[in-house]
Amino acid sequence: MLMCKDLAVIASDYIDGELGTGGKLSVRMHLMMCRHCRTFIGQLKQSTVLMAAHSSQQAPADYIARLDEEIHRALTQGIGSNQGDY
Amino acid sequence: MRPDTLDAPEDDLVSRLQQGDAAAYREAVRLYTPGMLAVARFYLDPASAEDMVQDTWLTVISAIQTFEGRASLKTWLHQIVANRAKNRIRDRHREVALDTDDPLDPALAERFGDNRRWSVPPSARSSDSAQALLENNVLSDCLDKHLGQLPEHQRSALMLYEAHQHRAEDVCNLLDVSAANLRVLLHRARQRIFLMVEGFQETGEC
Repeated sequence: MLMCKDLAVIASDYIDGELGTGGKLSVRMHLMMCRHCRTFIGQLKQSTVLMAAHSSQQAPADYIARLDEEIHRALTQGIGSNQGDY
Repeated sequence: MRPDTLDAPEDDLVSRLQQGDAAAYREAVRLYTPGMLAVARFYLDPASAEDMVQDTWLTVISAIQTFEGRASLKTWLHQIVANRAKNRIRDRHREVALDTDDPLDPALAERFGDNRRWSVPPSARSSDSAQALLENNVLSDCLDKHLGQLPEHQRSALMLYEAHQHRAEDVCNLLDVSAANLRVLLHRARQRIFLMVEGFQETGEC
């Protein structure tokens, strides 16, 4: 029988639809009986939405400015680096 | 389903990059650098990762002429960084050591009793939507802070999967991890964010 801790281990798999039919059924049965796990799954789901929405994690402004400068220099000199594989 | 094909705006951006349009480079740098850094930091220390991403952009100036659009521009750029970083660590005979043994964060694991039920259950909090939560600037700053404190491997996986919306198989390829390890990295990172938001909502402090 699936217990709360077992559910916590596979919670992301459940949220992302990565569980098989049996696993999904066990989680749903547990969730029907356990409000704490319903809260946990709801909040973990919210954390994934927060992350997706918080995609604005930017690179540092001074670093971006450095990149702009280096690229501008390379473009005006008409060269790009051919070094290395890509 | 997460697409990985060129859409119309990206097609236009590629054309402009191929023409050497400086404004297009500024746009592309802002769009794609955070993800490129996420890939590089998975393998390298932060300073080396920044240097590698800079070198990659300089390579792109000529390499973009050979871009055929078989994958999205984002995936192509991320793949270049991944290949270079993998070569770098192979040359240095290093390996990426992943902590994927335990799928539960220790701070969460200790909240279950011996009977495997919650001993310290999640606190019922307000039913604010994620969007409403994000409009709270203090929480948003707190999220930034905690994302910055995530172990580098978890953060890279989370950034590429959640924020940059790569498909799981693409993230596995970029980071050279198995699907099972990716699942653990994502789950551990989400638990950290869950714990952070829970703590913030209980105390109002980050």
